[in-house]
Amino acid sequence: MFEQEDDIVERMIRQLRRPMSIDPGLDARVMREIAHDTQPPAPGRRPLLRAWPWLAAAAVLGAVVIAWPWLRGSDANPDAFQFVLVAPQASSVSLVGDFNDWDPARSPMQTAHGVWATVVPLAPGRYRYAFLVNGVEWRADPGAPAARDDEFGTPSSVVTVGGKGS
Amino acid sequence: MMLAALLIAAQIAAQDPRFERLDPETRSLVVTVVDSARAVGLPSEPLIQRALEGATKGAPGARIVAAVRRLATDLGTARTALGTRASAPELEAGVAALRAGATPQLLTQLRDVRRPPLTMALSVLADLVASGVPTDSAAAAVLALAPKARDADLVEFRRAVERDIALGAPPGAAAAVRALNTGVRDAISSPGPGQPPRRPPSRP
Repeated sequence: MFEQEDDIVERMIRQLRRPMSIDPGLDARVMREIAHDTQPPAPGRRPLLRAWPWLAAAAVLGAVVIAWPWLRGSDANPDAFQFVLVAPQASSVSLVGDFNDWDPARSPMQTAHGVWATVVPLAPGRYRYAFLVNGVEWRADPGAPAARDDEFGTPSSVVTVGGKGS
Repeated sequence: MMLAALLIAAQIAAQDPRFERLDPETRSLVVTVVDSARAVGLPSEPLIQRALEGATKGAPGARIVAAVRRLATDLGTARTALGTRASAPELEAGVAALRAGATPQLLTQLRDVRRPPLTMALSVLADLVASGVPTDSAAAAVLALAPKARDADLVEFRRAVERDIALGAPPGAAAAVRALNTGVRDAISSPGPGQPPRRPPSRP
């Protein structure tokens, strides 16, 4: 079996060792092509110049995507709103509303001589809210419109934040 | 495809940890309403907030579900009146205006005369009615101001009417007189091209 394989290999080697006739002009043509490719391209054919309209368009598109929030007038950006309740007898006051999932733990108010206050960032929209005094008593904001559609039997107020430039 | 979308929405809603503040029976019913609203393109967040408000205020489950259902219905009415392009805040303000007594036709009229967003105009209308201004008077005043007044002007108008009412003026008359004054003032002092817009108020 090995002798048969040796015979095949021998025949292949003999074929590969046979002299080949090569076109005498081949070397010259190869060298001419190499020399041509290493020369600087003609001005009208430079790849970068051909691509510049696409690069410019991509740059403009990128700038628009990045600047889109500012171009739209930043309507989605929240503004800081201060909420105040005068409650000298209170030991704790929380602000709860549509902006904090009605979670009393999210916006505890700070007091100075019975004036309770906190600041909440609000995006444009209409929000219902109320004050929770001492953890048990619900109070509306006396300085804000009342929520008429109170379906849960306790007072609430509303604040509306408008969009900029409108 | 539609069924798959509904199932995915249901899973997302069920996974929202905020729903854990509702008892299981109420949660199931509220999630169903929220999913149905979402499936027809209505905003779900106002519905969730209404449910959370009820939970925090200790309302019975049945009342929470009823409130959420009613809000979903009203959001749909507001969208029909304001159009499918209306934003979630506009729809919420539209609901407030409808509940204050405004008709869907009035909402459509407002949409036709004022550049969006309509949130502030609709809210001022609702707030005026809450202050005691008859619905017709409030609607007439807001419709008159809507084409040109800025959001800040509308808020100032509402505050002026509330001050007048607090001082004893009949609500309807206060709204009419202040609307006339606001309209005249805007015509005189509206900022020209290139002038900066006035800032919105920083207090409710």
